[in-house]
Amino acid sequence: MITAEQKPIEEIREMIAPCKRVLALGCGSCVAECAAGGEKETAMLASALRMAGKMNGEEIQIVEKTIDRQCVKEFVIQLDDVIESYDAILSLGCGAGVQAIADMYPEVPVIPALNTEFMGETKDRGVWVESCIGCGDCMLYFFGGVCPLTRCSKHLLNGPCGGSMDGKCEVNPEVPCAWQLIIDRLTNLGALDRLQMIYPPKDWSKKQGAGPRKIIKEDQQE
Amino acid sequence: MTEMQERCLALFYCQQVPGNSDQERLAIEKRYGRTIRLFPIPCSGRLEPIHLLKALESFADVAYVVTCPEGECRYFEGNSRAKKRVERTRTIIRDIGLEPERVGIIAGSKEHPKSLGEVAGEILESTSSLGFSPVHNLGFAQK
Amino acid sequence: MSNLKKVLENGQFAVTAECGPPKGSDAESVLKKAEFLKDKVDAVNVTDNQTAIVRMSSLAACSLLKTGGFDPVLQMVVRDRNRIALQSDILGASALGIRNVLCLSGDHQIFGNQPQAMGVFDLDSIQFVQTVKTMRDNGTILGGDVLNMSPDLFIGAAANPFADPFEFRVVRLSKKIRAGADFIQTQCIYNLERFEKWIHMARDMGLTERTSIIGGVTPLKSTGMANYMKNKVSGMDIPDKLIKRMKGVSKDKQREEGIRISVETIERLKEIPGVKGVHIMAIEWEEGVGEIVERAGLLPRPGYDMT
Repeated sequence: MITAEQKPIEEIREMIAPCKRVLALGCGSCVAECAAGGEKETAMLASALRMAGKMNGEEIQIVEKTIDRQCVKEFVIQLDDVIESYDAILSLGCGAGVQAIADMYPEVPVIPALNTEFMGETKDRGVWVESCIGCGDCMLYFFGGVCPLTRCSKHLLNGPCGGSMDGKCEVNPEVPCAWQLIIDRLTNLGALDRLQMIYPPKDWSKKQGAGPRKIIKEDQQE
Repeated sequence: MTEMQERCLALFYCQQVPGNSDQERLAIEKRYGRTIRLFPIPCSGRLEPIHLLKALESFADVAYVVTCPEGECRYFEGNSRAKKRVERTRTIIRDIGLEPERVGIIAGSKEHPKSLGEVAGEILESTSSLGFSPVHNLGFAQK
Repeated sequence: MSNLKKVLENGQFAVTAECGPPKGSDAESVLKKAEFLKDKVDAVNVTDNQTAIVRMSSLAACSLLKTGGFDPVLQMVVRDRNRIALQSDILGASALGIRNVLCLSGDHQIFGNQPQAMGVFDLDSIQFVQTVKTMRDNGTILGGDVLNMSPDLFIGAAANPFADPFEFRVVRLSKKIRAGADFIQTQCIYNLERFEKWIHMARDMGLTERTSIIGGVTPLKSTGMANYMKNKVSGMDIPDKLIKRMKGVSKDKQREEGIRISVETIERLKEIPGVKGVHIMAIEWEEGVGEIVERAGLLPRPGYDMT
C-alpha cells in the first residue's frame, strides 16, 4: 500500500488558520492500513485540532468524515452535497487522494494533513517498510523477489557494493543489504547463477520519460 | 454570581479492577458527584486514544485509565497496550500545548490491591495542581 | 600511452598511489602534493569526491597531473553523474591525454557534506566498465551511436575481498572482468589470510590470467586510526593482532610501526601468484609513500616515455 505519516500538528494548524469551517476527510484504504489517515486517526486529529482551537480562542469548526477511497471519483462524488458548507478540506489521504479531491473541487482549498511516503508492505503490526519504487519494468523474477532498485541504497543491478558488511548496508546498520538478501534467496531457490548475467542499465524512461504516467484501458471506459 | 466550578476527572477502568460492583460505583458517584465520571470497559486494552481525547475535548480536565496489575490481564496484553495508547495520547496533547500530565494510567498492584474508589481519590489528589483545563475553561486557564 | 599498462604488460610488479584533490580551486596544491610521488610510482589515482565530500573534480586534477608528467588514473564514481555525463567525461578524459580510468560505485551520499543530494547511480560500476569498454573497442556509446574517435583508456575496477558476502565477491569480480576490467585495485589489505583465500578462489576461476590484480595497502598512522577504520568504516577488516601491535609501541613510534606493517604486507603480496602490483593509499600522507616503496625494494621505478 501507499504509506504516509501525519504532518506535525503545528504545520497543519498554520495551514487551516484562516478557515472557519473545515472538513477533516479520512480515507479507508492505504492510509487506514498504515494508521495515518483512517477513520480513527481522522477522529483523533479532529479532536486535537478542536481542542487547540478552543485553547487559543479560535472559532474554528472541524467536522469529520471518512470515505472508502479518496483516489476514486465514484467515492469522492459523495461530497457533492456537503462541499459548499466548508472553507477547506483537510485531507488525510495520500498525495493521490489530496489531488483527486482538489481536482474535483477546484474552488475549495484542499490541505494535506499527511506526508505521503512510500509503496510498501505491512511487515508486522505497526511496522511498514518500503518495497517498490514503481519503476514500470519489474525485474523481481531475476532477483528472487527482492527489489534491488528499492531496497539497495545505491539501486545497483549488479551488486553488492564494497560496503556490504554482515548482511547490512553501509548507510545504516539497521538496513539489511538487499544484495545479501537476493543472494541468500536465490541460493535457497537453487538459482544463484541468475546473477552471473551482467544486468544492463535500467530503462528509466519507463518511470520518468514523459511527465506523469498514465494508463488507459478502453474496455474499462464508459 | 459565578458558579463554583469543579474539576472533572474522566476515569476509564477495566472490569477486573477491585471495587467496581454496581453498588460501589454508585457510592463513588454519590461521594464525588460531577467531579468524577466513570467509564467501565471490558479490558483496558480496548481503550483508544480517541476516548481520552473526546473526554478531554468535551468535559474532562483530566482523563485516566486504571488497569490490572502487570502480567495479570485476562486478555494478556490489554494493560500493556493501554500504556502505549496513553503515551500516544500524551504526545498528541503535548503537541497542541496541553499538559501531558492530564492523561495518565494507573496499574493495580498485586500485593496491595486498591479499590476503584481509593484510586479515584488518589488521582484527584495527585492532579489537583493541574487545575482546570484550558480547553473548556479559558477564563480559568493558568497561562 | 598508459604507463601503468606498459609496466604490467612487461610483467613488472606495478606501483600506484593515491592523491586526493583539494577542497578548493588551488591548482598549485595538486602538483605540490603529487611531487612526493614523482618517480616513486607508475601511476597516480585521483579520487572522485571521496566519501561524498565535495573536492576539485578528479578530471580537472588528473589533467593538471598530466601537465606535471604523471600518468593519472581517473577515478569515476557513478553516484553523481548519469550515463550522459559519464560517457561525456570519458571522451573528455581521453581527449586530455588521460589513459587510465577506475570505475567505481562511490560511497553513499549520506556520508559526505551534501547528505541531501540525490544519489544518481544511473549506471552501476559494472555497467559503467562495460560502457567504457564498448566505447573504446566498438567506438559506440550506449544505444549504438557511433563516436568519431574512440577513447583510449586502460579500464580498471575495484574489488573488496573484505566485504560480505565473501563467497560472492569472486563472482562479482568475474562479472567485472567479463565486463571489461583490464586491471583491478583492491580495498586495503590488513587481513592477509582472507586476502589469500580470495585470490586463491580468483585463481581457480582463471580470473588472475584475464586481469591484473593490484593489492591495496594503507599505512596505519596510529592506533586511533586503526580503531576508527576497524569500527567505523564499512568493508574493512583489520585483525586484532594488528591493533595490538600498534598499541604495543609508544605514540611517537606508531607511524614507523605502521610503515613497517605496510612494507611487510607488500613483501608478502610480491610472493602471491596472481598479484601484479600494489596500490598505496596513504591518505593525507603522500610523503610516506616514497619511504614505503623504497623499503619494500620497489625502487627505482621503470621510467617510460610518456608520450
